[in-house]
Amino acid sequence: MLLDIIVSGLISGSMFALLAIGFSLIFGVARIVNIAHTAFYMIAAYCIFFFTQRMGVGPIPAMFMAIIIVTFLGLIAYRFFIEPIREHEAAVLIGTIALAIAMQEVMLLFFTGDFLSVPSLLEGFFSLMGVKIFFQQLLTFGAVLTILIALWLMLMKTRLGLAVRCMAEDREVANLMGINERRVAMATMGISVGLAAFTGAVVVPLTILNPFMWMEPLIIMMAVVVLGGLGSLKGSFIGAYILGFTEALVVFLIPKGAFLKGSVALSIMILVLIIRPEGLFGIAFEEER
Amino acid sequence: MLLDVEHLNVFYDKAMLLNDINMGVDTGELVSLVGPNGAGKSTLLRAVTGLVARDREISKRSTGGDVVLQGLIRFENIQIQNIHAHEIVKMGLVHCPERRRPFREMTVRDNLLAGAYLIKDRDKTMSNLAKVYDLFPVLKGRGSQISGTLSGGEQQMLAIGRALMTEPRLLCIDEPSTGLAPILRAEVFEKISEVSRLGITVLLVEQEVGAVFAMSSRNYVLSSGRIIAEGTGEKLLKDEVIRKTYLGL
Ligand SMILES: Nc1ncnc2c1ncn2[C@@H]1O[C@H](COP(=O)(O)OP(=O)(O)OP(=O)(O)O)[C@@H](O)[C@H]1O
Ligand SMILES: [Mg+2]
Repeated sequence: MLLDIIVSGLISGSMFALLAIGFSLIFGVARIVNIAHTAFYMIAAYCIFFFTQRMGVGPIPAMFMAIIIVTFLGLIAYRFFIEPIREHEAAVLIGTIALAIAMQEVMLLFFTGDFLSVPSLLEGFFSLMGVKIFFQQLLTFGAVLTILIALWLMLMKTRLGLAVRCMAEDREVANLMGINERRVAMATMGISVGLAAFTGAVVVPLTILNPFMWMEPLIIMMAVVVLGGLGSLKGSFIGAYILGFTEALVVFLIPKGAFLKGSVALSIMILVLIIRPEGLFGIAFEEER
Repeated sequence: MLLDVEHLNVFYDKAMLLNDINMGVDTGELVSLVGPNGAGKSTLLRAVTGLVARDREISKRSTGGDVVLQGLIRFENIQIQNIHAHEIVKMGLVHCPERRRPFREMTVRDNLLAGAYLIKDRDKTMSNLAKVYDLFPVLKGRGSQISGTLSGGEQQMLAIGRALMTEPRLLCIDEPSTGLAPILRAEVFEKISEVSRLGITVLLVEQEVGAVFAMSSRNYVLSSGRIIAEGTGEKLLKDEVIRKTYLGL
């Protein structure tokens, strides 16, 4: 039971972390609340389905193709749709909701609303102290961890990472250091959507595809970000695992807990907003001119 | 002239913040800009380094009020009034902003490296870093400290150090002494004259008239968006009206 909770918490926590960090990145750098973030995740999942099930592409090349296509799509959406309204918060919010729904409708058109699935990349499982651990779960966890470490190295060790951190703190001063805001925002959007696409691609064998599959992770991701503090990457990371483990606890410890799973994120979000609206690591944003 | 400002007007939301500004800075000078609160000193620096143009661009794309910039700003005879702030830095015109504004969550070293963002030559950056640490020994050995935990004086040194890392030809510094104890103010001013002696041209905005007039080659007095006097400290201090009305002495 304990091990069940740990495995399940680690895996869902890692997925939530990937989604929430991507969402926080573009918010931090460009103050864009991208509601369509998990819709890109959904598109990536469908890409994997399409390439592996309909075109007969191998799972690894399919994954690369999915990430590249979705990232490209994200950049186009950003350049022609989000960037022109970037300074207008309400417009960004409404615009990205519209974008998400548009993507959902397109997927409905192409793939209908049927539930689809993709087989595991790795079949089989092993037992650890009586708990079934599927190889696919292990693979997913390993891949997510690798990407998180790579992202951390990018942020701390590269020139782009430095620019991203500067812009997340003070866009104007970043500009005064010679950082091209537009270009860094664009690059960050690419990374952000790329992370969503990667999440979609690795999660697809563990989940069921349908065009509405972006909504549940959107709510979870929002809860993580509220819990961790909007704009804080550290907060997103820690918040994601807190949420992952809480979900696992509810599912395994409460009788019929699986039915309550969906309400965990919402309850946490409401609790945080009442008790500590700025979240665990929230930064009070200084008024920028 | 290294910097030339001609007939510059700036409006924010119909309010005229700068009114027909004509001024300039020559290579090697240390020029100060003084005047009461709200005179428009920061706005003038912001106009020169591209931040007013940036505000104008943002306001165009949001519901914010209108920002208008009229007139000519030239740096080394190139018109820069419509150039992006990040391009202006590339030319060597650098702004050390009001309230210091370090990247508070980043380390001292990363703050300084942010200043070197445009300098791709790693060796040059490292030698500049060593020079900055030499100029500001308080920062030495604290490269890994989070800059938000530095004292006010140290943060000011960091802000100036960060600006120096961009290799400026003209460094604009906005009110570096604000909020500091008298000893620290003297130290900050000493560092600024040292920067000037290193051959970097400085445009300094300050309220601390006494200290600034002693080190500057020329001064402008700004009030309600207009330049109302110009000259050496000696000359300005002799003028009874300017002393009483604008400098509060
Ligand atoms: N974004 C803005 N919109 C409207 N008015 C502004 C804006 N920024 C500054 N002002 C006004 O412009 C005037 C000049 O401001 P500025 O900051 O340039 O003055 P200052 O001389 O630097 O003053 P201080 O010594 O207090 O720093 C002030 O009256 C201020 O209220
Ligand atoms: Mg000012």
